[in-house]
Amino acid sequence: MEDLMTGAGTHVPFRSREEAEFIGEVDFVVVGSGAGGATAAVTLARAGAQVAIVEAGAWRDPEDYPWSAYGGMRDLMDDWGARVTLGRALWPIVQARTMGGTTVVNSAICVRTPDDIFDQWESSHGLPGLRRRVLAAQDRIEKDLSVEEVPIPARGRSNLLAQKGSLALGWSDSHYLRRYVKGCEGHGQCLQGCRSRRKQSTNLNYVPETRERGGLILSSAPVDRILTEGTRAVGVTGRFEHPRTHAEGTRFWVRARKAVIVAASVTHSPVLLMRSGIRVPALGKYFRAHPGTGVFGCYDDPVDMNVGATQGWASTAFRESPGLKLETLSIPPELVASRFAGGGTELMKRLASYRHVAMWCHAVRAESTGTVSKSLFGGPIVRYELDRQDMVRFRQGMVLLAKQHVAAGARAVLPGIAGMPFELGKDEIGLLEEAPLDPRRYVAILSHLFGGCVMGSDPRTSVVDVHGRVHGFEGLVVADASVIPTNLGVNPQHTIMGLAAVFAEDLLG
Amino acid sequence: MWLVREAILLLYPRTGDLPGAIDCDIDAFLERFRRETPWRVWLGVVLGAIVFHVSPIFTVHVPLPAFLLPAGLADRHAHRISNTNVYLARQAIFVLKLPAGMLWGTNAAVRARLALPPLDEDPGTWKTS
Repeated sequence: MEDLMTGAGTHVPFRSREEAEFIGEVDFVVVGSGAGGATAAVTLARAGAQVAIVEAGAWRDPEDYPWSAYGGMRDLMDDWGARVTLGRALWPIVQARTMGGTTVVNSAICVRTPDDIFDQWESSHGLPGLRRRVLAAQDRIEKDLSVEEVPIPARGRSNLLAQKGSLALGWSDSHYLRRYVKGCEGHGQCLQGCRSRRKQSTNLNYVPETRERGGLILSSAPVDRILTEGTRAVGVTGRFEHPRTHAEGTRFWVRARKAVIVAASVTHSPVLLMRSGIRVPALGKYFRAHPGTGVFGCYDDPVDMNVGATQGWASTAFRESPGLKLETLSIPPELVASRFAGGGTELMKRLASYRHVAMWCHAVRAESTGTVSKSLFGGPIVRYELDRQDMVRFRQGMVLLAKQHVAAGARAVLPGIAGMPFELGKDEIGLLEEAPLDPRRYVAILSHLFGGCVMGSDPRTSVVDVHGRVHGFEGLVVADASVIPTNLGVNPQHTIMGLAAVFAEDLLG
Repeated sequence: MWLVREAILLLYPRTGDLPGAIDCDIDAFLERFRRETPWRVWLGVVLGAIVFHVSPIFTVHVPLPAFLLPAGLADRHAHRISNTNVYLARQAIFVLKLPAGMLWGTNAAVRARLALPPLDEDPGTWKTS
């Protein structure tokens, strides 16, 4: 055994089984290095605390990022992106597993927590006092991460067309996005990680800063369980996992003198608590998401959607009613090739139009809830499906996107609904109003997840309190999207970061 | 492996406009894919290929596996099975199309045809210090 560490700025990557066990001790152990974990860690480190970040994925710098979608799935995604919800339809869950978490592979969209969300948290969940503090933290984070609107040269034709369509339809609240991206060059590679270092994912700022401030960083180190003494969390343990072969390495133990902060994601945080014997009635409940799908528009002139910001435009005009967010999303030909329906020469004919299509998508502010539970192998199982009302919203979103494409000049739209025509002409988009409400007819994904360890004042219906502390335990805090008890209806990264900063401040007293 | 290869070739054939999977070094790709993916993912792809090959009786009403169909019928089958109303069968084909799309979409000739620059090799590296 190796008794190491308290020393300054150490990164411990994968260690094989033949090597000595790793043992460390710090003030605070943070499990996960994404939006929540990295923000909590740097907040604590800036206050002089000694912090360890324990990340399940490998630490990849932009030079290590993959070029292809294949490499993205292999090197950056959790479980190759193969995790799906169990319900009537099997919809994939998009989460990363790499230093920086999902901030590495998302589009870095920065949206402040809406006012009505704080109202809901106060009135329905007994969570007072978060508004001022979360917004103040978001102010600081925006400065830290150089938040700016997509610059004009990086907008790309797909984003420009989206704005044109929304203006023609008179939609309010349609805009080019503010993102944690400094001087975007518009390479359209957000989903594989920004090799140009423009996107400010946390592996490029908060994690290195935590290290520079004397922190201990473990990568390729999935945590098996949280160590407890009675009702007090005192550390974490697990085995290193080889970044390529996934072979098990030696065991690590990191003890926490003051607290363990869990920020392992909506799917992994509840399951980690379950594996650790944490018994709280609401654990794994109230899973929510933004299910969404894309509608392609076909244009006479080339759109070349992979030129420009991957996601550069959005509208929140329909956030309140019917409960939707609309945005652009450019995907590479590798993904269009499977997303387009059909096979054989007919599919190739469709793919030949790649340069002329733009994909815009919706995210439904769904009220349906699901659960996260532990499989026999210890991993997460997500049970979730949309009720009829949410499916109606889902369909309404597709209608809106189709209308927007037509308003922007599309000659046809490709809705991608099984059992409906592949292509709908301008005069046929009304057919979408009667599209089926069976989720199995749609190719959808869950991009933003919430819940599983929800915040609230009542221990019977929540897992953590207003400080992120797990009810009935000491020194155990959850600081990621799993604590969010409501569906935000906007991109959650900024809310996650704001909450994590506030919870970390509370730990400092 | 052979079943997967044949299914992908039928799903993504070479046309006058575009290169097909046959032009994309499919054997090396599938070898790498099988080696690098979790067994569950590979199993899903194999199941997709099995569904593809055993289903012509339902799509083109011919009691032969897809790999024995004449070219025209095989092409019609590839399209119909990808659009089947049977959800699990459609999902199985979708799982098969995912790696196939990754093979096809990263090919330099395909990308050139779509006015996209070629991709470098994925480095597959990580920070070790």
